[in-house]
Parts: sequence; C-alpha cells; structure tokens
Amino acid sequence: MRFYRSLTIAQKQIVWAWIFLAVPTVFYIWIRFYPTANAFVLSFQHWNLLSDREWAGLDNYVRLWNDPVFWVVFKNTFIYLALGTPISLALSFVVAYHLDKVRFMHGFIRALYFLPFMTSAVAMAWVWRWFYQPVPIGLINNALSSIGIPQIAFLNSTTNALPAVLAPAIWAGLGFQIIIFMAGLRAIPQTYYEAARIDGVSAWTTLTEITLPLLKPTIVFLVVFSSIGFLRIFDQVFNMTTNDPGGPLNSTKPLVLLIYDTAFNGFNMGYAAAQTVVLFVVLLVVSLLQLYIMRDRDRVS
Amino acid sequence: MANVILDNLVKHYGKTPVLHGIDLEVSDGEFVVLVGPSGCGKSTTLRMIAGLEDITSGQVSIGDRVVNNLEPKDRNIAMVFQNYAIYPHMTVRKNIGFGLRTSKKSKAEKLQRINEVAAMLDMTELLDRKPGQLSGGQRQRVAIGRAMVRDPDVFLFDEPLSNLDAQLRTQMRLEIKKLHQRVGRTIIFVTHDQVEAMTMADRIVIMKDGHIQQIGSPFEVFHKPANQFVARFIGAPPMNMLEGRYQQGKLHLQDDIVLDLGGRVFSAAAASKLAEHPQVVIGMRPDDLRVTSEPGHFKGEVALIEPLGSETLVYANVGAKELIAKAPGRVPPTAGDQVSLAIESELIHLFDTRDGVLIE
Repeated sequence: MRFYRSLTIAQKQIVWAWIFLAVPTVFYIWIRFYPTANAFVLSFQHWNLLSDREWAGLDNYVRLWNDPVFWVVFKNTFIYLALGTPISLALSFVVAYHLDKVRFMHGFIRALYFLPFMTSAVAMAWVWRWFYQPVPIGLINNALSSIGIPQIAFLNSTTNALPAVLAPAIWAGLGFQIIIFMAGLRAIPQTYYEAARIDGVSAWTTLTEITLPLLKPTIVFLVVFSSIGFLRIFDQVFNMTTNDPGGPLNSTKPLVLLIYDTAFNGFNMGYAAAQTVVLFVVLLVVSLLQLYIMRDRDRVS
Repeated sequence: MANVILDNLVKHYGKTPVLHGIDLEVSDGEFVVLVGPSGCGKSTTLRMIAGLEDITSGQVSIGDRVVNNLEPKDRNIAMVFQNYAIYPHMTVRKNIGFGLRTSKKSKAEKLQRINEVAAMLDMTELLDRKPGQLSGGQRQRVAIGRAMVRDPDVFLFDEPLSNLDAQLRTQMRLEIKKLHQRVGRTIIFVTHDQVEAMTMADRIVIMKDGHIQQIGSPFEVFHKPANQFVARFIGAPPMNMLEGRYQQGKLHLQDDIVLDLGGRVFSAAAASKLAEHPQVVIGMRPDDLRVTSEPGHFKGEVALIEPLGSETLVYANVGAKELIAKAPGRVPPTAGDQVSLAIESELIHLFDTRDGVLIE
C-alpha cells in the first residue's frame, strides 16, 4: 500500500487502467492472438491432429500453388465477391432510397426487409434449396413449367450452381445493408435537397451529385463489410450442397469450405493452415485496397 | 424585378393551423424582415414563398404572377438557409456554380459569372477551397454567393446569421445590407432577433402564433407599437409594463402614483374606449425612464445595475414591481440607493388591458 500511495495521480491512473485492461488483454492474447500465431506456425508444418507436428518448410505453400482445386476455389471466392458486393449494394441502395420516401406502413415494410437477416442461414439455405429442386418439388421450376418454360437445373449445373447459391446469400444480407443505407440517407440534412430544389436541378443530378457523394462514408463501410462477408462465404454453400459440399465438381466451393474440407475431412492441418493464411492475406489486401481507393481525399490534415 | 404579394395565406399541418391568413405586400427592391418568437410561423411563411411548403389556402404572387403551383425553380427566387446548405464535397466554385447548372449559358459565361460573384463577395482566393476549410462567416458568404449567382428576383433568407458568433453576426448584417443596396433586389429575411430586424429592414413584419401583429418601419414599430406584444418584443431590455387606471388626462397607479399625460388628445374611438373601460396597461421604455435627482414619478430602491459603458441599466424595485431605467454611464447609482425615476408624458404608451391594443 505504501508503494501505491507514493505514486502520482497519473501513475495511479495507469495502474488502474492496466488492472481493468488485464482481463480483455489476457482474453485476446489467449483466444485470438495465440491461435492466429499458431495457425501461421502450423502452415509451415505437417500435422494430422494425432501425430507430432513436423516442420515442413514451404511444402504446404508449394503444394497449394500446384493444386488445381485451390485455383478453382480461389476463382470461385472472387466471383462471390465480384458479383455479391456490387449486386447486394445496388439492390439495398435502391430499396433504401425508395423505402426512405415511403410513409405508408414504413416500419412494417422495413421489418420485412430486415427479417431474413435475423433468420438462421441454415434454415434459409434449406428453404432456398427446396425452391431450386426440379419438378415436381421445386417452387421455381414448378412455376416455370406451369407457364411452359423448360426446367432449369439450378444446383445440379456447374454454371448455374454458384449464382444459385449466391442469391440467398445476397438476399440474407440485404436487410442489414438497407438499414445502414437508410441511416446514412437520414443523416443527410434536408436543406441540401431543398437548396437543390430551389436551384432546379434534376432528380438524377441530385442523386449523383448530392446523395451519393454525401453517402460515401456509408458506402465505404458497406463495401468493406460486405466484401469480407462474401470472401468468407460458407454456410449457404455448405447447406445447399450437402451431398457434395462445394459441388458439383467444386463449382461452388469457396476458400473457407476448402479449408474446412482439408482440415476436418482430410485431417491435413498444416495444409489447411496454409490455406487460412492465404485467406487472411486476401482479406487484408482487399480491405486495404478498398479503403485506399475510397479514401477521403477531401479531408485535409 | 419583382414584388411579392401574400394574400390571405393559410397553412395547416394536418389539423393544426400554423398560419391564419397572412396578408403582406412587399414592393420591388424592398428589404422586409419577418420577425417573431419561435413557432410564430415566420419560417413557414418564407418556405411557402419559396415553394418548399404547400399552400393550404390563399395566394402567393411574385412579380404579379401567381406562383402557388409553380416549382421553386420556376419562381426565380434564391434562398439562404440557416445551416448554409453548402455541399461539403464540392469546392466553393462548384458550390456557387451549382445554381447555374440548369441555366442555358455557355461554360465560359458561367465561369465568368461565378468569378463576378466571388469578386463581389471578396472570395476570389477561396474559390478552390472546400467548405471544411472555411470559417463560419466565409461559409455564409458562399451560401449568399450561390443565391446571387442566378441573379434572382427575390432573395429569401431563413435565419442565416443565427449560427454565427455575435461579432461576426454584426459584420454579416452590415454586409447583407450593403449587398442589398448594391444589388437592389427584393429581400425577405426571417429572424427571431429583433436587433437584426431593426438594423436591416426597410419594413418589419412582427408575427406571433400565425398572425401578423404589426407591419411597419423600424421607427414605427419601435415608437408606435401596435400592441403590448410588439412593445415588449421590439427593443431591449423590454418595455416596462404597469397596470393603471385612466381618469381625466391622468393615470392612477398603485401606491397613489399619478402620471399626468400632459393634455394628450385621444382619437374619438380611443376616448370612448377609455370612458367605457378605464383600466389600461402603461408602457414605458427603459430608454425613456430616466434616473433623476429631481422628484420624479416613481421612487424606488436600486436592486441591481448593468453597466453598458455609455449608459447603465438600473433595475429598481418600485412597490412590488421592478422597473428598468437608464442612468448615465459615468455616474451610475449603486445597488441599495434610493432613486427617483421620471418620464416625459408623451413617451408613455397606453394599451387596452383586454386585447393589448395600443390606445392613441
């Protein structure tokens, strides 16, 4: 106690700060940083969970580079990103833009849009899976055949399966993005629009010159957030293609599913860790790139 | 060139009436200030002139043209908003030029016009800056520049100075007034600040609860307030109000105080009103109520003083009432002093106790 009393106020504050910080610090080091670091180390090792961990040098990375499945999966992951992020952002902006102007049952409609976001991805994936089944089970094909359009193989086709899996993933995230967009739209002062009305500019000019630029922080957030989501897509794919996860013929398989497969079906922990490191680097590079491209040039230091 | 005429303008929000029939004629090139406490409908009136609010009933004409159903852009007006409404992501040049987007001028002409306006507002070197790099007063000038660039018939100002600090406000007040003298366009200016109204306006429109209380020059509204509300709203500190009784050219107040009206002659209507209902409210501006060494009309004890430099406000307890008076700045009384207060009989205002209307 004498030691504590002899401290200055600033030093006492530091002591207390560290006492309170200790719990989350220990938690983070133990639960987050240690496994992450361990995964990095593991990516340079061979391990099947039961054996001892053996150093493998760059073996895992070399194997990954030469693995044709990895490149298919790598491409799939970027297709999820390249289609999912722009489509989901465009859709949610259009919905939010118009929903913002709707007064009639506004809260109810907004709740309907938000509902899918609260629903379990597994349940959703299975319902959509049912939609996609061939006649006489599938909802969509039944509807198509009743008006004389030939059936479409959704989940059984190597070309159609990926978009078919992506659709519910986009739909599920829409509610969240709409809410964020609406909050962004609400934050734009009404006088900007009133001034534009007095100046007599067209609705299109108002949208492109006022609304979208002022919405930029919201857009940046959603682009980064949804990109990370699509790069890590897993549950929709896994649940909609359970017979052959990531199939048919790896045409829907994303990186996370490959990692899961390598680790818990192949028990090839070192190899899975190497794939994880690649995913980590991809996420990091894509996010930083987006933040760099969309950085705020207006702000002066 | 345009006058603005409001004819029995009414506004309801749902079932709530906010304007009860506003009649106002603003002549071409006039500077009119709408002033009143918040919620009096002054901003609503302005926004109806601008076309930003629907008109429940009545008529708005600008330049002898009924504009009720015209879009804001077709009314040839410009508006300056309280929060300036200048776009943070555009340079000053783009902001000012925004109002020219729909104009049919060539690009060179537009740039020329922007430069002209910038020069007029002394902002040429700021044209490439973003609003984030400007001070409050400079932003305000950008907003005015954007309004000027289209050379509209009528300028509408919606409390444009209330976000500025006191010193800047005084300065912008002068600048807007100078601008009006130079450009000579009709200006309708909304404020809640009676000092702004007094200093800038050709004519002041005082509003309360959706009704116009008085329309008149700054001189008229100050020296001949139409009713008690106007009398207390215009002028600071507010007018002293005492209740009394009129009897044969004299006013009888509490504590046997008697004020002589010096043989004031009332109109026939006012005289019969006084005969029928002699109860009156007596209004005396603090500026007119002097602290004097001679035996005055009121005697009281100084509760506190507010030195303003050139003069001193004296808050004196007279009976149960507190009166505000003025004393010279150099030798003011101090708190606790016994003082007597005097007023010239022609400076006393009388109001009816029932409806607050000026009796003259």
